[in-house]
Amino acid sequence: MKKIVMASLLTVLLLVMAACGGNSSADGGEVFEFGAQKNTDPKVMAQIVKLLVEDQTAHEVNITEDMPASPQVMAAIDKEDFDFALLYSGEVYNNHFDEDQVEYTTNPDETLEQAQALFGEKYDMKWYDSAGFSNQYSIAIEDDFAEENNITTMSDLGEYAGDLTLGTDNSWIERANDGYEGYQEAYGYEFADARGMDVALMYEGIANNELDVVTAYTVDPQIIEYDLKVLEDDEKFFPPYDASLVARNEVIDEYPEVADIFDSIVGSVSTEEMTLMIREVDMNERSTAEVAKEYLQEKGLLQ
Amino acid sequence: MDLFLDYFEFWQDKFDSILAYTYEHLIISFVVIVLSVVVTVPLAIYMTKMKNEKIKNLIFNIANVFQTIPTIALLAIMIPILGIGFKPAVAALFLYALLPLLRNTYTGVKSIDPGVVEAAKGMGFSTFQRLFKVELPVALPYVMSGIRVTTVYIISWTTLAALIGAGGLGDLVLAGIGYNDQHMIFTGTILAIMIALLLDLLFGKFEKRFSKV
Repeated sequence: MKKIVMASLLTVLLLVMAACGGNSSADGGEVFEFGAQKNTDPKVMAQIVKLLVEDQTAHEVNITEDMPASPQVMAAIDKEDFDFALLYSGEVYNNHFDEDQVEYTTNPDETLEQAQALFGEKYDMKWYDSAGFSNQYSIAIEDDFAEENNITTMSDLGEYAGDLTLGTDNSWIERANDGYEGYQEAYGYEFADARGMDVALMYEGIANNELDVVTAYTVDPQIIEYDLKVLEDDEKFFPPYDASLVARNEVIDEYPEVADIFDSIVGSVSTEEMTLMIREVDMNERSTAEVAKEYLQEKGLLQ
Repeated sequence: MDLFLDYFEFWQDKFDSILAYTYEHLIISFVVIVLSVVVTVPLAIYMTKMKNEKIKNLIFNIANVFQTIPTIALLAIMIPILGIGFKPAVAALFLYALLPLLRNTYTGVKSIDPGVVEAAKGMGFSTFQRLFKVELPVALPYVMSGIRVTTVYIISWTTLAALIGAGGLGDLVLAGIGYNDQHMIFTGTILAIMIALLLDLLFGKFEKRFSKV
């Protein structure tokens, strides 16, 4: 009896080890790694990619969430720890390249082209055209305040800025091109006070009237939730952060069925759609997998 | 060499703001350390005299609970009450510092040889005389080591102040992470380490001097 138990335990152990060994999925395909930053849009896109890949191919996608920021994701792609990710075109201006390699512009097409060429070569990956949405800096104020004083553009805000407190993330104040210093030069005014903080707390701050102005990201659902108004960037100061999927060349060359899926996602998710999905996740506390699945089903891309 | 020159240039470029971040960091840590020592050390000493185990456990449990609340949640709760910036940062760090300081001081004072206390009693010392002439001098090294450990914690935790707009070296580190600038991350980290080491050294000197008396 004891022998049988031992033998069956050993068999189970071997089976488990076989299942773990190598990166093969249950269906005999590969297991790809998707690295997502800590914001919600890469997490949702990761689920969309995972659902489509697992539905249409024998491969599986494993998602690693909450990487601190894009540079850490790229470092992991460089080490081949990640195969896929969602990155933003404007990232090309963030200290990755020398000034003679990259030319700063806020034109979306030129920014995307530079990101595709420079990052594509540096990390041996394909940088797809925009997935359709953009997650970039903007200046937002409370809707009531905007209505009352008839403020629609960032220039309009100048008149009142001397009395307003700005809340922003921790890096905007220090950013060279598109940071606070550049903003002051472009628009010719500064705020009474500017404080860097956690983005979630920044919105808590404006909701509690501790802050008057925030640097919102264009896909943030809090813009809808807290009745904020995103001001028009009339001086074209903020560079575009168009979101694109990226994939290691090695992977898409070897697995054309995966490349087809990535091609099909290009231009398919609008900023509004992404904002609504993020809202479902962040505000209504639903899982990214559930929200992504619902989105794909509504679009008829998934059963 | 290039790396070194680059870094030197970074300092020249950012000197004013690095100084401002360091100053913010020092002020926040200092206020938190003073506040927590003033409140916690007497409380811990009082607790060693406490007969009621239930109340003692209750206090430790409260300090424990504060320690387990996630930072962002704690800071978010504070915004409606204390707003943004210096005040909520100090309050949050104070709550986090409670447990290590309370535990270390309590255990330190508790570990005094009861024979010493008995001897003082035998010599006819009153409770207060005993506390100030015998128990506290004997306990000082323990109390100081509790303060030293907590101080190092606080210096490192003060980087959290950057999450709620209070600035400090955490701002430099987080800005560096977001903006892909290794110099900022390195500078913020190394300065925080240096402050922690310097304060530890200072407290060490202080402790030596007073425990000889």
